[in-house]
Formats: sequence, structure tokens, C-alpha cells
Amino acid sequence: MAVRMLLVINKSGGLIYHRSFEGDVDKGLNSNDYLILASILHGSFAIATQLTPKALQLSQSSSKNIDYTVPYIPYVGMPRGRTSSERSKYGASAPQGKLGSFKGDDFFKESFQSWNRSGVRQLCTDQFTMYIYQTMTGLKFVVACSQGTLSPANPSSSNNIFNIHVADNFLRKIYCLYSDYVMKDPFYSLEMPIKSTLFDKKVKQMVDNLV
Amino acid sequence: MSAPAQSKSLKAIGEDTWKNKTEKVNAELFTLTYGAIVSQLCADYDRDFQKVNNHLFSMGYNIGVRLVEDFLARTALPRCENMVKTSEMISKCAFKIFLNMTPQVTNWSSEKDAFSLMLDENPLSDFVELPMDAMKQLWYSNVLSGVLKGALEMVQLDCDVWFVSDILKGDPQTELRIKLNKVLKDEVPIGED
Repeated sequence: MAVRMLLVINKSGGLIYHRSFEGDVDKGLNSNDYLILASILHGSFAIATQLTPKALQLSQSSSKNIDYTVPYIPYVGMPRGRTSSERSKYGASAPQGKLGSFKGDDFFKESFQSWNRSGVRQLCTDQFTMYIYQTMTGLKFVVACSQGTLSPANPSSSNNIFNIHVADNFLRKIYCLYSDYVMKDPFYSLEMPIKSTLFDKKVKQMVDNLV
Repeated sequence: MSAPAQSKSLKAIGEDTWKNKTEKVNAELFTLTYGAIVSQLCADYDRDFQKVNNHLFSMGYNIGVRLVEDFLARTALPRCENMVKTSEMISKCAFKIFLNMTPQVTNWSSEKDAFSLMLDENPLSDFVELPMDAMKQLWYSNVLSGVLKGALEMVQLDCDVWFVSDILKGDPQTELRIKLNKVLKDEVPIGED
């Protein structure tokens, strides 16, 4: 279930952030390989949108109301002890403003629509499972984990839709971190590699909270 | 768990996001900081207000292309299917979340591709009186047009944004005009439909 790596790919397919969370994953992958991997993902994502089987397309057009809603899954990647029962125990000791410009104890608390409608959302192999979240501006957030699911509460979940939803929740939170710590960094230039230690730190915290 | 985002009105989403999900800064600090920037720019450009307008616009543009990510991460709202929806999104959600105001949308063009936002209250221009020499040319809040231009461009809407009138210049109201040039279809991220 451990997160093995996280990639952020800009709208033109360039890798702007990569981070591996396991020492041995890096063996054999240098930064050039990561760039290639990102471009391949970007390309195959675009190709995959064209590969939807005809039958599926027909059934989609006949029932236009396919549900792309992702339900809110509480406190994915949030520190333990932030669930409502435990918080009331510690009362006011929970420090305010811990989530940057986001108020409250979680980045969002309602279900949302996925922007990624016909692209790859999940890629399963024997070795790892990969999830892709694409934003309206064309940014892709990619996470690879060793087993099927990112859910700490439900580590052996075999409910695949649920796993995708957990990953979408997690990656939208990474997007929230990106909007706060990368976009508001005046020294960051758009579309360039992210070299923010603050972003590094917050991402690491969120990934650690998953375990 | 709350109801799906779409069943709520944009107005309710905007209000909820502003009230419960956004950290605030002191409004007066914000107003005064912006005032300091504008007055410094006027000094730096030797009171060439055309250049000040342009500079404010480009500052706003650079803010907009980044701020849009914040807006999208915060709301995760689906794409607007037409300009009418876009106008509501801007006035009821975007302005609400970032500035706690809801400008009125009026003056639609006959093709429904251009509209005006009436800024009844403008937090940027509280306490402001323009000096005599600036009255004619300076668009004090021009940073807003830049922000809108940049943000809309990042969601593939190529628009022109400009101020038509400003209370600060003695006009009866502050009017911000937005005109859609083109939807940049080629740049819509693949996989959205």
C-alpha cells in the first residue's frame, strides 16, 4: 500500500516534479528516465482517450449522464487524531491555519467532479498500481503505489472504484498543496521543475499520513 | 457528507467556500498594500499613467495564471459550457472567494460573448482618491482585468478584459468588461470529454 512515487507533469508533457518514497525504487531510474517516463505517460494518456471501445462510446452517448462524481473520503492523507471525535478530545489545541490558505481540518469536504473523463485514471500491473488525476489546466498528478489501494483504513480493499476514489481524493489534495506552495512561490517560474522545499515537506507529510 | 457539488447553486458554493474553507487576511492591510504598489508605480514611471496601467495589467496577468490553480483546487468545479455560466462563475464564485464581493453581470452583447461586471464595492479602492493628474488616464484597479485575463486564458478562454468606467474617475459606477475572443479548443486538456 505504500506510496512509491509521485509525479507532476505539466500541460505539455514535461516532468516538473518527481519524488520517490522508497530507497530501492530509484535503482535503475535516473532523472532522465523519469523525464522519459513522464512523456510516455503523457502520450499514452492522450492515445488512450482515442481507444475507448466503440460499444462503450455508444452506451456513453445514449446515457449522457455518466457519473464522474468522486465522493469525499474523509481525511485521506490528514494527520491521525484529526478525526472529529479525537479532535473534540483535544479541543482547541489543534493549531489553526495548518493547511496553508485552506481553512478547517481538511482541504475539502464535499464530493467533486473528476475532470479526467476519457483518459487513464488507473493503471494496474503485477508490481504496482498507478493513478492519474488531471486538472482543468492540463496538469497531471500521478501516484504509484505498491499495491492496489491508497486507503490506510482499508488496506486490502479489493473494491476498485473505491481505490480510484481514494486516489482522486489524495491527488486533489496534492493539487491543493501545489496551488498553495508552488503557485504562490514568487520565485517559481511556470512550467519549470519544482524545487520548493516547503512543497517537498508538505507532500512528505501527506504521504506519511497515509501509512 | 454534503450533497454533490453540482446540486448546490454556484452562489451557495461561493459563499460556503468563502466562509468555511478560506483563510482571510486583513482587508485594510490588503487595500493599503495595493495602494502602496500603485502609488510606487506612478512614481517609478514618472506619472506616465498609460505605462502604469499596462504594468498593473501584466502584474495581474501573472497573478491570474497562478491564482486559477488555487480556485480550481479549492472548488473542483466542472467546466462552464457557455459564457453565461462563465459569467456566473466569475461573479458568484471567483469574486466571492477571493474578494468577498459579487459583482452584477449586465450589458450582454447580442452574441452572448461579452458582458460587463458592475463592481458596486471594490475593496481595492477603499480610502482612495485619485490625484488630479491621474484622474484622466489611470485605471486604478487595472490589476483585476489582468487577473481575469490570465485566469481565463489558463482554462482555455481567450478573452479581452478592460475597465469601461470607474467611480474613482467620477463615473457613476465601476464597470469591467469581458469579451470572449475564442475558445482555445486545441489547448483543452485531452481526456476531458
